[in-house]
Amino acid sequence: MPDKQETTLPTQQPGAAAPKPAGQPSQKSMTKAERRELQEKQRAAKAAAKAEAPKGGAGGSAAKTKGAQAPAKKAGEAGPAKQSVLTSKELGHAIPEEGAGKRGPRIFTHFGLPKPIGHTVKGDIHPAVVRLGLSFSEFKICGANARCIATLTAFKNVIQDYTTPPNSTLSRHLMTHLSPQITHLVAARPMSVSMGNAIRQLKLEISNSDIDLAKDVLCKKIDDYIQDRIIMADEVIQESAGRKIKEGDVILTYARSSVVEKVLLRARSEGKKFSVIVVDSRPLLEGKALLRSLTSGPDPIPCTYALLPALPSLLTEVTTVFIGAHSIYSNGAVFSRAGTALVSMMAKQRNVPVVVCCETCKFSEGILVDGFGKNELAPAHTVQPHGSTPTPTSEPGLEVLNPLYDLTPPNFITAVVTEVGLIPPSSISSIPLALGKTIL
Amino acid sequence: MFDIHQAFRRSLQNPEIAYPLAAIIALTELIENSDAGTMFELVNAIRQGAETLKSKLENPIGVDAGCELFIAFVTLFHHESLTLTDLKRELIRQGQKYAEEAMTYRKKIAELTVGFIKDGSILTHSHSRVVMQTLLLAHQHKRISVFVTEARPRGLGLKTAEALIAAGVPCTVVLDSAVAYVMDKVDFVLVGSEAVVESGGLVNAVGSNQIAIIARAAKKPFYALAESYKFHRLFPLSQYDLPSHNSKILSFSSPSRPTRSASISRPAEDTTTASDPPTASASTNDTEPTSSTSITQQQICKTNPHVDYTRPDLISLVFSDVGSLTPEGVSQYLVGMFAG
Repeated sequence: MPDKQETTLPTQQPGAAAPKPAGQPSQKSMTKAERRELQEKQRAAKAAAKAEAPKGGAGGSAAKTKGAQAPAKKAGEAGPAKQSVLTSKELGHAIPEEGAGKRGPRIFTHFGLPKPIGHTVKGDIHPAVVRLGLSFSEFKICGANARCIATLTAFKNVIQDYTTPPNSTLSRHLMTHLSPQITHLVAARPMSVSMGNAIRQLKLEISNSDIDLAKDVLCKKIDDYIQDRIIMADEVIQESAGRKIKEGDVILTYARSSVVEKVLLRARSEGKKFSVIVVDSRPLLEGKALLRSLTSGPDPIPCTYALLPALPSLLTEVTTVFIGAHSIYSNGAVFSRAGTALVSMMAKQRNVPVVVCCETCKFSEGILVDGFGKNELAPAHTVQPHGSTPTPTSEPGLEVLNPLYDLTPPNFITAVVTEVGLIPPSSISSIPLALGKTIL
Repeated sequence: MFDIHQAFRRSLQNPEIAYPLAAIIALTELIENSDAGTMFELVNAIRQGAETLKSKLENPIGVDAGCELFIAFVTLFHHESLTLTDLKRELIRQGQKYAEEAMTYRKKIAELTVGFIKDGSILTHSHSRVVMQTLLLAHQHKRISVFVTEARPRGLGLKTAEALIAAGVPCTVVLDSAVAYVMDKVDFVLVGSEAVVESGGLVNAVGSNQIAIIARAAKKPFYALAESYKFHRLFPLSQYDLPSHNSKILSFSSPSRPTRSASISRPAEDTTTASDPPTASASTNDTEPTSSTSITQQQICKTNPHVDYTRPDLISLVFSDVGSLTPEGVSQYLVGMFAG
């Protein structure tokens, strides 16, 4: 048990309501700046302690120190380890450390810091969902449509393997069974709007159904959802958007949208001759995959590949810009891969029409006015260091900020292609009403 | 054999009837003369008729709007309890009733717009029946003066000016190129329409886009008047995305002399490519003294567009029989009418 009597430094028991030791003013009476200073001091002290501990003292006490710094955080050894006790108070929350003195970027922390991969599985999670969670957190499955379809397919597996416990019915118990699975996926990577809408629809189906709903019926409904709202919707969008591609056009697209890829391939298969400029950006460099897909195959499309900084010089050649969306909000704002807003704004400045291809399953009822309200930070492993650029591991004071999405305001969008037609962004809010739905 | 074109032309003989309305009347007559056995066949026949009608026209937008409206009405019509003959009779009756009611739309629009007109000067473009009716009504209640653009090459603005002067409205004809000159004297701009499209933009006689841009630069309101049967689900992304656009428009003529400079000797191009707007028709040829070709008005008329597209952000309000709409509101109305 930690030995607290022989301390010379004030000690704080984590979570204790005991009176604060003398010599250290109560936290409330300090100003924010003072509290921050204290935090900094404590972190620095902790870093020093960690550095010292392997050097000074016997291997035994070093091991103890190391052990004490594990998530239990009740350390209180003699000497340098005492300083670590001071820091334990603010380390009481669950974020595991990434390294000495590291706390992540100062801004955008309200999105939650990126979680490291290989986190533990809490509770009774179906293996398909575990597999999916890993694919999400490693960015093996990327893109709103792909994630939505993968989630629904995994949930079909879960439903098939589910047996109703006695004294309960499927329609009542299934939801409680699915909730931890959903939480697990959200912990791997924040949910996309398309996934959210699909799950909400699934919940509606379950709760509105008969008391003796068969599992097969539910799986069929999931299949129907995928078929109608994603596959068929994509077909209609390909046709409508394809009509806007004419002979000799130069189409610009950014990163990789599954819908835009389909539109371009379909227009090509109809025999139209046009060329494509693929604009791409680090760290994900998704445009490369799109480039490969457009130029391979029996009828390759002539393509140009460029990085984002080259955009202004290319825009003079462009006829139309086609972009995809992660989600689209009621005010017509488009939430898409970071960099899309730049492309749209620059294009609109030069009177190049910007066309967004988006299925209605990606509509969100909220309103977003900038990319700060809702976003996601990519984990550090996605950023591969490029040549001799300094990285957070080589320079301790350096943080990498990598938001995955940004918001394009509605006045930079010319048209939105959905399965219900080509509409201006200001009419997004009237689509659900027109389709006779009160929710999307 | 029922000839839809004849029916169409016949309805157009009434000078008050606009293209979309004539199309609806022609389709109603098609139903009367149709021998379709089922609902499906009837709808198909109507669609066929609409296609034939559009194919013969150079500028099919207005007719298309009317046809789409009628086809949407027919397909959404509640018909479970009726036999086919009863259904046909009901459709014809509804069609004729709509045509009659549509004749009152211009008056409704005029009454709505007059509320927005104060004593002052108005600029209008070319000739529009609904604008005429509005201006004449306004003249009865307010003191207005009107500038009308000439609207070459067809010169329909002169028709407007003559009619207004005959009615006692102070009016003068303005050159198309003098619109920027006169814009500061004007209080607002009022134009008619061939069609109002899904984006909230306006398709109207060529020159409307120019006037809208100048009005925006001079900070004057730009109002468009359109009957509801002119609302169309088309969504042009740019001028060259209109259905009336073809490769003949603004094409370069092939050179007759080898000594011409390289820039003029480009053969007639497909003008849908790239983003650089084609330059005006080859009036530079005139300076070549040894040229034996002289440009005639007819040639200019043939290689220039008849309609252009005005973007929705340049339009202040659209006045219609369904009320006064913002350009965004047009799309919401269309979505409400046609979707689902």
